[in-house]
Amino acid sequence: MSTSASGKHGTPAIEATGLVKRFKTGRTYIEVLKGMNFDATHGDLTMVMGPSGSGKSTLIAALSGLLKPDEGRVDILDVDDLWKKSSGRIDRFRLDHCGFIFQGFNLFPALTALQQVKIVLKYQGLSPAEQDRRARVALEEVGLGHRMNQRPAELSGGEKQRVAIARCLAKSPQLIFADEPTSALDGENGQVVIRLLRRAAVEHGAAVICVTHDPRLEAWADRVIKMEDGYILSDEKRVPDPNPAPLAH
Amino acid sequence: MFRSDTARAGFKGACSESMSLALSTLIYEWRRYMAAVVALAFSGLLVLAFAGMFMGMGKSFTATIDRSGADVMILAPGATQLFGGPSGVPRRLIPIIYQHPEVEVVDYIDLSGGRFESMDQAALRAPGATPPQGQRSESVMVTSIVTQPGNPTIPVDYSEALVEALRQPDAVVLDETALTRLGVQLGDEAIYNGHRVRVVGVTRGYANFMQPGMVMSRDTLRRYGEAYNGSRVGPLMVRLRDPARAEVVVAQLNAGANGQYRAWTRAELSAANEASMFEEGIIVVMLGFSVFLGGLIGIAITWQTLRGAILANIKEFASLRALGVGMGSLRRIIVELSFWVGIVGIGASFLLTWLISLLAGMFGLPMAFPLPMCLAVSALLLIIALLSGFLSLGMLQQSQPADLLR
Ligand SMILES: Nc1ncnc2c1ncn2[C@@H]1O[C@H](COP(=O)(O)OP(=O)(O)O)[C@@H](O)[C@H]1O
Ligand SMILES: [Mg+2]
Repeated sequence: MSTSASGKHGTPAIEATGLVKRFKTGRTYIEVLKGMNFDATHGDLTMVMGPSGSGKSTLIAALSGLLKPDEGRVDILDVDDLWKKSSGRIDRFRLDHCGFIFQGFNLFPALTALQQVKIVLKYQGLSPAEQDRRARVALEEVGLGHRMNQRPAELSGGEKQRVAIARCLAKSPQLIFADEPTSALDGENGQVVIRLLRRAAVEHGAAVICVTHDPRLEAWADRVIKMEDGYILSDEKRVPDPNPAPLAH
Repeated sequence: MFRSDTARAGFKGACSESMSLALSTLIYEWRRYMAAVVALAFSGLLVLAFAGMFMGMGKSFTATIDRSGADVMILAPGATQLFGGPSGVPRRLIPIIYQHPEVEVVDYIDLSGGRFESMDQAALRAPGATPPQGQRSESVMVTSIVTQPGNPTIPVDYSEALVEALRQPDAVVLDETALTRLGVQLGDEAIYNGHRVRVVGVTRGYANFMQPGMVMSRDTLRRYGEAYNGSRVGPLMVRLRDPARAEVVVAQLNAGANGQYRAWTRAELSAANEASMFEEGIIVVMLGFSVFLGGLIGIAITWQTLRGAILANIKEFASLRALGVGMGSLRRIIVELSFWVGIVGIGASFLLTWLISLLAGMFGLPMAFPLPMCLAVSALLLIIALLSGFLSLGMLQQSQPADLLR
């Protein structure tokens, strides 16, 4: 089975079947993913929700090539069975197609916002001029045009997360994985972040998979998947609220 | 949110936009790398100070050659250095060497040595003084010079006045570094091998740690009965009409030597003397030990520092891994970082060594740092830093991007 890499709205981006992941704790295993099926579509902001410990992070680690599941397969863009590939090929796949946003910002203290964004583009093999151009566009897009030469110590939490988003968007990824991107932020900054993710889906046609346990983010989603204890509890498509209520903290 | 705009402002100019991650990190978080830089600096200092001291000792040992008025020296055929081992030649060689048309003056080295005793100068000057008693007793090495103008035994940096002073009977010259040790000053009288001598001059740059050196005229040496009078003399010192022709003349002399002698240019002999220092077992052992100890300390501390630095940025590295930057690229960042730590360490090491050598110079302890030695120590420090970098690469395995998803 193959999925399209066109990035066209509505085309499938990820199809995963029968994902099982167990962790060893002491002498026993705990099964975190219990044969999960999952799919995501280009242009959609797919929200994965569920209580803490339900396996959300493990799921996107398995989908994105960061953590090998014990069973099951992941077909992603035009790659059949991602986990059959060598780790070098999987790294290359992520470099070409995947963006990540984590709860922490993970920015190098020594680098300015512009340098943080450029470094990834450098490893993609872009020319210095192109690195610079794309990095500036991405930082403008997240509203940090005036803070490009600031280092993390000089940026607020919300600004740091926006740098991390710019670092992710500058690659023009077809897949964006966000794990609790707003939980370290106040309501206002959280709203800026979720709006940027939504824009990446709508305007760039990326498949955005956003994990959260914050029910207020639901309003922005095209699709909400609820997980509990390694299973999918519910999966509903919805029409995103054009004017969602502000996230107050 | 913590902000320290003023503290960081200074770095903005320093870290150019196109600077690599490794270099930016080193400059921005320099405090973190201080330990490694200091460790490298001291490793380098340890080696440089030892080697510099030995080289300095060697230099003062060869000072008599380097600054002698001889353009060519003639040693016994098997001799490879001026002192230590039989280097003298038969006296009958002197007229043979004179036969070469470019030779102007031939003389020879005549060394001696004995006990040097200082005297109570006040008691000496008191009217009706009893025959003075020797006080402090030290052994000295004596070099004799022939005071005729233009004689090759006269060091080139001896002033006319100094040579003139040495023409007086019982006149001796000491290096400034020997004065305290021998307990005398300029103008003092003292006893050498039972003879009354007078310090008529003080030189600079002829320090000798093994044994203080003393210079007197050949005439004085002869009056003391310590000069060569048999059929053998010390190495010959030859002055040429044109010093620039030394290499040619040496080649011609050696071509006609018939195994009776070997001629050396001054530079050649000086280099051979310096090299022979390193054939001394103890010096090699001490140098080897300092390299080993310096290397060990350098690696241990630099390694730990780099490990700590990687660990401090482990999440950032993990996020790069998540975005698809391969392990190989991260390793290169660490190796580059260790390279820059090495470069800064080399700089710090030379700075420190320079300060120490200034200090040593104030105490009359000459140190010498020839370029090849400096290059070797730089290479050593760079290897230490890179090795530490390679050792700490394992830490990168802890940058598991999946750990960022929790
Ligand atoms: N590396 C690991 N080793 C052992 N247990 C783990 C590991 N990662 C996750 N778990 C366990 O798996 C369960 C699900 O974790 P996670 O996917 O992070 O949940 P969520 O993101 O929904 O909070 C938790 O009980 C957690 O303790
Ligand atoms: Mg989680």
